[in-house]
Amino acid sequence: MKDIRKIMCACGSGLGSSLLVEMNIQDVLAKLGIDGVEVTHSTTSDVRPGAADLFVVGRDLADFIKEVDDDQKVVLTNIVDKDELEQKLREKLDL
Amino acid sequence: MAQETPTIEGMIQRKNVQILDGVASWEEAIRVAVTPLVEDGYVEERYISGIIENTHEMGPYYVLCPDLALLHARPEQGVIKQQLALTVLRHPVRFKPEGPDVRVLVTLAAVDADSHIEAMKRLAVLFSSPANITGIAEAADADEAYRLFVGAPASA
Repeated sequence: MKDIRKIMCACGSGLGSSLLVEMNIQDVLAKLGIDGVEVTHSTTSDVRPGAADLFVVGRDLADFIKEVDDDQKVVLTNIVDKDELEQKLREKLDL
Repeated sequence: MAQETPTIEGMIQRKNVQILDGVASWEEAIRVAVTPLVEDGYVEERYISGIIENTHEMGPYYVLCPDLALLHARPEQGVIKQQLALTVLRHPVRFKPEGPDVRVLVTLAAVDADSHIEAMKRLAVLFSSPANITGIAEAADADEAYRLFVGAPASA
C-alpha cells in the first residue's frame, strides 16, 4: 500500500462538498480498515503540491488544481457517490 | 470561540421548506431558494448575488449529483447565522446547458468551515442514496419533504 498520511478535500468555499467528501473518505477508510490518515477540508486556494499526499476535488473544480500531479489527486464525477470514491481511493492507495 | 454545532433539526425550519412548480432560469432558482433565509435574517441579500457570481467564476460547484444542489457561498459573502432551507422544484432546472437536471435545492448558510458538521453528517447519509434524493423530489407536499429531509433513515 502506498504511504498516504494526509488527504485534503477541496471545494470553492471549503465548507460544502469538501466537508461531505471528507466524511465519506473517513467512512471508506474505516471500511477498508485503514487508520492513521489525516483527512481535512479546505478551499481550492489552499491546494498546492506538498500540502497533502492526496487531494480530492469534484470534476467542476479539477481545473483549479492543475498544478497537482495526476497521481496525487482524485477527481470525482459524483461528489456523493461513495462507490466511486472507494474505487478511486483504492487505486491511489494501491490496494 | 467554539461555535454551536446544531443537529439538522436545529438547522432547518419547516416553514423554510417549499415546493415550487418551476423557475425560468438557474439564477431565479438560486434567488427563490435563498430568499427564505434572507427573509428570516440568516443571510444578507448579497448572498444571492454571491452564489451567482461564484457560479460564473467556478461553474455550478454546488451540483453534487443529478437532481441535487447544495447552494452555498463563503461565510464572508453575507452569512449572518447558520441555517438551511429546502426548495423542491416540480420541473427541474439546469445550472449549465449540458445538465444534469436538478429538482432538490438545499440552501446552506455556514458561518465557518466546521460548525455545521452535525447537520452535514445527516446530509452525507441522506445524499449517499439517489433514492433518498428522489424521495424528496417527489414528496407529496412540503410537510413530507421536511420529514424526509430531517428524518432520513440511515439506509434507504
